[in-house]
Amino acid sequence: MSAAPARSRTPLRAAAALTAAALSATLLAGCGGDGKDASAGPDKPVDITFWGWAKGTKQVVDAFNASHKDVRVRYEEIPSGAAGGYAKLSNAAKAGNAPDVFNVEYPQLPDFVSQGAVADISQYVDAGLKAKYLPQAVQLTTLGGATYALPLDAAPQVFYYRKDLFAKAGITAAPTTWAEFRADAVKLKQAQPGSRIATFFPDDPTTFEAMAWQAGAQWFGTSGDTWQVGLTGAETNKAADYWQKMIDDDLVRVEPSFSQQWTASLQKGGTAGYLGASWGGGVLKGTLPEEQAGKWAVAPLPAWNGAASGMLGGSTFAVSKDSGKVKAAVEFAAWATTTAEGIQARISSGDSSTYPADPDLVPVAAKAFKAEFYGGQDVYAVYKGAAATIGQKWTWGPAMGVTNTTLKDSFGKLADHSGTISQALAAAQKDTVAELKNRGLKVSAR
Amino acid sequence: MTPTAPTAARPADAAPSRTAAAPRRRRRHGAPAVLLTPFFVLFTGATLVPIGYALYLSLYAEHRSGLGFGGGETVFTGLGNYTRALGDAAFRGGFVNLAEYCLLYIPLMTGLALVLALLLDSALVRARRFFQLALFLPHAVPGTIAALIWVYLYTPGISPVIGALDALGAQADLLGHPLAAVVNMAVWEWTGYNMVIFFAALQAVPREVLEAAVVDGAGPLRTALSIKLPLIRSSLAVVGLFTVIGSLQLFTEPMILHGTTPSVTSAWSPNMYAYTAAFERHDYGLAAASSVLLALAAAGLSFAVTRATRGRGGSRPPHGTERAV
Repeated sequence: MSAAPARSRTPLRAAAALTAAALSATLLAGCGGDGKDASAGPDKPVDITFWGWAKGTKQVVDAFNASHKDVRVRYEEIPSGAAGGYAKLSNAAKAGNAPDVFNVEYPQLPDFVSQGAVADISQYVDAGLKAKYLPQAVQLTTLGGATYALPLDAAPQVFYYRKDLFAKAGITAAPTTWAEFRADAVKLKQAQPGSRIATFFPDDPTTFEAMAWQAGAQWFGTSGDTWQVGLTGAETNKAADYWQKMIDDDLVRVEPSFSQQWTASLQKGGTAGYLGASWGGGVLKGTLPEEQAGKWAVAPLPAWNGAASGMLGGSTFAVSKDSGKVKAAVEFAAWATTTAEGIQARISSGDSSTYPADPDLVPVAAKAFKAEFYGGQDVYAVYKGAAATIGQKWTWGPAMGVTNTTLKDSFGKLADHSGTISQALAAAQKDTVAELKNRGLKVSAR
Repeated sequence: MTPTAPTAARPADAAPSRTAAAPRRRRRHGAPAVLLTPFFVLFTGATLVPIGYALYLSLYAEHRSGLGFGGGETVFTGLGNYTRALGDAAFRGGFVNLAEYCLLYIPLMTGLALVLALLLDSALVRARRFFQLALFLPHAVPGTIAALIWVYLYTPGISPVIGALDALGAQADLLGHPLAAVVNMAVWEWTGYNMVIFFAALQAVPREVLEAAVVDGAGPLRTALSIKLPLIRSSLAVVGLFTVIGSLQLFTEPMILHGTTPSVTSAWSPNMYAYTAAFERHDYGLAAASSVLLALAAAGLSFAVTRATRGRGGSRPPHGTERAV
């Protein structure tokens, strides 16, 4: 550089300045958000943006766009909620560039509403539309008397298991009670020391929450303007103690859900079952290799006493508060959740086993689902039975982000036995109450 | 960022001798202004404004009424978010993890980089270029991708390394020991990079000094410890400073591990605490306050490192390395 002839410096400098200026101009332009085009002429369709991740969503959007001239949906696939999708959504909502419609699961809906990210769509959802959905699903999307989302699916928890591995261990039928489940776990481990009946997911508290729900627990409730928080009630403790013993006795694996570890273990037959939701059937099928087709079966969740189910996740369509196109957004959401075409497009994609929240559409879904992976079993019949027994008392709290973060962090101590489920619940109770107080809400312990 | 200003200004000082008096002055002020404007525009937009916004956010909290669904109002809480962050055991725990990480990682990585650089600089090594490149290569892999590959190598059931160790009867569970797992990733990524800095500084050591040492009868070890090390002290200082600041911002590696093993909690490092506060707890005030506290810690620590190394070493540590690099 120092040896360069001095004469060439001036043009060089000018060129450098120009380049730098041009570069920074493009950079700055790149930072600006794309302007929203809210205006739509009479012939031009209303453009709405949509973020989601559920299997088969792209096919649903394509089918909607093919059959609608008034609204056009632009779909962007985001990571699943727990894997960063919710972070992206809340960030976008805060920054004011959230999509018009987005998928959010039941547990997180109150949190997003409480953040002010979700529009009240009560005036666009008439009684006729509401009546189409299962009452439990309607209840979970109605907060403080207003409707905030349209439910896509009811997601009862069920038990997926390997028939061949169970048979090898001398187990002829799926466990119907939790006592039988434990006995089967012992048998399975005895027959094949490297095999376990199922996995406790420390990274996904909603799986344990579904089991607490099934046991009859009610973590959240309201009385007037006061929130009641009770994560450590007798029913919850029943489920917690049961699972703690399963973990202590090394009868279940403790591995993150949908991790490479978990998948590898399923592929090798080191794990013979999965306590997943109805939507998990399609995910399982998509995750596992072809040669396991026909070896899996679905059964209702083992019972405590009498059939009962909890819901594990389950998606809804919510409209963003900043969206100026609520009507078009609701039109799309209603189509995706309550029409045969919408459900058909989703299930036909191959990897979705969504159980529609609109019971009239269950036969459509059942017909579209290819059940070879489950040996031709009528999996929707099992889902239907389970969905009918979803406990109606459960509501989600307004700060599940905090509740679940604490649970997740504390469940992290389960694998090396440095903490227990009860300790995790006590910590989550404390943090949740503190968070609600911090937000200025009235709260009492249940 | 720092070298930008001096290098941009230097040609302007050299140019005047050839040009007339009147345009000279204008040019002297004009060129730096044109060249520096983009920098200051970006610096303001990408650094100063966000810092100001974070400070602003850290003083406010969202309060809601009723059941909390009717939207909230932003209220001034003064230092409320700061006391909440400092009062949170998870936040303090992040600093403890960070301190352990620094105590383990910094001496290990710096030591390794230094030894490798001295070996490369000595007459012992053949194929110097090859080793230089090979050792630097890990740094060319983006951190996220490197972390994902390490996670694969750590995961029992799929990792060939763990599989081989198991076959030999050795149990290795790095996922259960996050500190070792994270330090290992960081050492792998940064040793080569810092080795190159040390190596460049060693190359700049005057050959006559080394020859004098040889004439005086100093062996290779003695030369390394008594001649080379003191002469590259300034680059040691710079590496130390950058490593400390980089370590405080620890995020990518534990964040990716967090997705794989719950033994890395959502607040394993202070940066992760801020991330979780913002995007999982939706508490932007708390996130901003914890970020500001982390920034203050980083500023304090880098000041301490600069002071400590300046006291012992030369008067202008950064310039030595700048020339050397």
